[in-house]
Amino acid sequence: MNNKNFFGITDTTLFLSIICISFFGLILLYSATNQDIDLVFRQGTRLGFCFILMFMIGSININHIKMIAPYIYIVCIFLLVITILWGHDSKGAKRWIVFFGFSFQVSEILKIAVPLMLAWFLSLDEYKNFDLKKLLFSFLIIFLPILLIIKQPDLGTSLIILLCGGITIFLGGIKKKHIAYLLGSLVIIIPVMWKFFLLPYQKQRVMTMFDPTSDPLGSGYHIIQSKIAVGSGGLFGKGFLNGTQSQLEFLPERGTDFIFAVFAEEFGFIGILILFLFYLILIARCIHIVGNAKNYFSKIIAGSITSIFILLIITNISMAIGVLPVVGVTLPLLSLGGSSLLSIFIAFGIIFSVNRRN
Amino acid sequence: MRRSFLDFSRVNTEKLFEKRLSVLISILLILTILLIGRLYFLQVISYEHFETLSETNRIKHIEIPPRRGIIYDRNNMVLADNSSLYSVEINIKEATNIKKIITAVDEEIGLTKEEINIFFKKKSKYSHHNVVTLKNNLSDAEIAKILSIRYKYDGLDVTASLLRRYPYEKITNHVIGNVGYIDKKDLSKLNKKKYKGSKYIGKTGIEKYYENILHGEPGSKHVEINARGRQVRDIDEKRPSPGQDIHLTLDVELQKYMYSMLSDYVGSSVVMNPKNGEILGMVSVPSINPNRKLWKFSVNNDEEIKKLKSPMFNRSINGLYSPGSTIKPIVALNGIQNKIMDPEKEYYAGPYYQLPNSSRRFRDWKEEGHGMVNMQKAIIQSCDVYFYMLADRLGIDKIENFFEYFSFGEKTGIDMPYESFGVLPSKEWKNKNIGDKWTKGDTVITGIGQGYFLTTPIQLAYATSIIANKGEIFIPKLNKNLKIKKNNKIKEREFFLKNNINSDDWEMITEAMFKVVNQKNGTAYWTTKNKKNNIAGKTGTVQVYSLSQKTNEREKDNIPDHLKDHSLYIGFAPKENPEIVIATIIENAGSGSKYAAPISNKIINYYLDEIRERY
Repeated sequence: MNNKNFFGITDTTLFLSIICISFFGLILLYSATNQDIDLVFRQGTRLGFCFILMFMIGSININHIKMIAPYIYIVCIFLLVITILWGHDSKGAKRWIVFFGFSFQVSEILKIAVPLMLAWFLSLDEYKNFDLKKLLFSFLIIFLPILLIIKQPDLGTSLIILLCGGITIFLGGIKKKHIAYLLGSLVIIIPVMWKFFLLPYQKQRVMTMFDPTSDPLGSGYHIIQSKIAVGSGGLFGKGFLNGTQSQLEFLPERGTDFIFAVFAEEFGFIGILILFLFYLILIARCIHIVGNAKNYFSKIIAGSITSIFILLIITNISMAIGVLPVVGVTLPLLSLGGSSLLSIFIAFGIIFSVNRRN
Repeated sequence: MRRSFLDFSRVNTEKLFEKRLSVLISILLILTILLIGRLYFLQVISYEHFETLSETNRIKHIEIPPRRGIIYDRNNMVLADNSSLYSVEINIKEATNIKKIITAVDEEIGLTKEEINIFFKKKSKYSHHNVVTLKNNLSDAEIAKILSIRYKYDGLDVTASLLRRYPYEKITNHVIGNVGYIDKKDLSKLNKKKYKGSKYIGKTGIEKYYENILHGEPGSKHVEINARGRQVRDIDEKRPSPGQDIHLTLDVELQKYMYSMLSDYVGSSVVMNPKNGEILGMVSVPSINPNRKLWKFSVNNDEEIKKLKSPMFNRSINGLYSPGSTIKPIVALNGIQNKIMDPEKEYYAGPYYQLPNSSRRFRDWKEEGHGMVNMQKAIIQSCDVYFYMLADRLGIDKIENFFEYFSFGEKTGIDMPYESFGVLPSKEWKNKNIGDKWTKGDTVITGIGQGYFLTTPIQLAYATSIIANKGEIFIPKLNKNLKIKKNNKIKEREFFLKNNINSDDWEMITEAMFKVVNQKNGTAYWTTKNKKNNIAGKTGTVQVYSLSQKTNEREKDNIPDHLKDHSLYIGFAPKENPEIVIATIIENAGSGSKYAAPISNKIINYYLDEIRERY
């Protein structure tokens, strides 16, 4: 690691594992989209753009990133309002805004913007106890975008952002007492939410997770087909481009939500273990960087990003095998889609930037 | 002091952070390990379960129905074959909105109200069929139009299939029968495996009787389908083996001629070769076009068909008629065999016959009577009084017993389904079915084939063939390749008839029947001018409505059609070494000599002059 600061790549191992996984993602996408090479090229282009962005962020001093963190947050909130007012309608939800011909999902960026803002806020007076004032402000930071995203409506992403924010304040030292209170109030809030806030389709999603066979052709279809794809992959998989569930299109949302099922069907359990090994190397490097981080902001943000990264992997895979309801979480570095890719690479840019200071 | 406090705080905060981070990472790692465990369960432990599910997803088993055997006549003329046909079909199980599909199809190719009605009727009546036809016989343009919208509607498809076609339509309808949609009743009886892909099954006639031979063995194939149910590729295929063709004994030229002779009437005619039992022609009128029945699914509502008198009824094997005077030759043979009457002896036959101690007069058809008649003359002139007397002397037991040798009251055994038994009356029969005692009067009218005696046209033709053969018996058959071995019952009968009636007496009876047609006072003398084929025959006139003894001639002419007499005729030709036997019945027409006899003789002459000549 002589060339530590070369072009923002401050950790070669991390960089190589990102390259490996995302390049493999392109190959997998080729299979998941029924050999739609145009789509793979488009994703490749996006990936290239994201790499450049990652290099750029990686070359910025982490203190500068800390300085602009509130502005990023404010811009995101602003864009969320725009999304609600003039957003692009898709399947009854306004989740996208279009500028310069690119459609863009702001809520994806908030998975990073919220922890960034929290990290900035918590490091303002880092030595002070996590008192009630801190807690209330943190809540404000977390729930302002969440309320806007619920309005879209996109409950899945809201929950993910809640978890992302939760991870940051957990790492930021929230008192055990407060954690207990919050978990207690959750027990009360969840039934109320179920009764008054959830839309019928959202309830349906949760219900079918517990019993997908209750509606095998409706909302249970995705889960059933995905489980079949994963299960029939067996130990060694059916082979690249030979997954019948994906190639014959029994599997829905193959490029995005259920890309893991495509992978599991074609590469089997052994393939999954190898994939996990790559993820593990990546995560281990990130943890290493967190450990070496010199200031509080760096530690909090890098620790949050690392944990969020693991969380997203777990959530996506759980979804694909019917352990969690389908909440629309992509598999980091493998799923098709620009916005989620962008937020992941911004996150890695920040990690590189954190490492830069070491 | 302040600085050390800050340092202390800083260490504390960082320690807390590190603790929190390790807790969080640990939780996430435990979750990951659980997830790997779950994946191991799905992919390794439950692999076979999901593998099966995945295979059932992608592989569809398709039954390929076999091609139905073709039915030919004796000269290899096609009587029933299959024409390929494209139809729009809706798979009820796959379709999400049937009404929407029908509307879309209607917009593309236009559907009649009737077609839509029939579709829903079929759908409810044959709910065990997954696929129901909406419109048959599509043109190329229509096929293209449906294919262009097919992708939008699940369950909509165009399929090629084979439809049964009967080129001779009405002419062969009752003999050949027809196929029809497999209904629930068929389903309960048939071998479901064999009929999985089949839509049709033989319902009547030869189609029904030889269903097992004609149907064939189905094939099947496995195809790979995608999530939308479209076939991607074939995986394997087992070809169906087609049903066997059947060659019938029918001569369609003769059949055509017979139909043209009878088509204005209601009735039936059966022509048979007495030398081997082969049925050469078998017509029942009225008849309907079986092709239309198949296209239109149901013809019951058709006005034109409603006017016809039971057009679906196969009179040849199911029509029950009193045989009338046509059985007099057999009664005469009975008299000879039982030595009741000397054939040569002349008896006085007046206008009527009266039983002792009874005022009832059994009248002769000839008002003034026939005068002195011997047995032959009684047959030639169809003298009722002579046979009243003969029957009376025989008694019902002997009459019944002797008629059994000619297979009355039982199925002939022809290879057709649902053949009727007819009624051969006896004391026991009357007691059982009418609940009354047998009377002498019953015996008397049985002697001229009236009363309870009921026969079918095929039975009459069969009995006539036994007379023509002078006791030799051949069971009637339609399948040319059918080998019938005479069973013991038939052999015993043949033995009896040949040994208990000597050839002179057989000769006397056939001579009498010859004279019926060829002697000036014979009842059928005027029915044919062409005498060179040496036709022997016997007329019969059956009263449907018993006229009062005082009914005068004018009233007789005014009785409504459905009460008019049935006209019957049996015949064979040539008298020596006969080649053809006929039995004809025309309902509610009038006397036998006026209708059935001339028609039958024309048919005989046509066969011997036109058809046989060509062989």
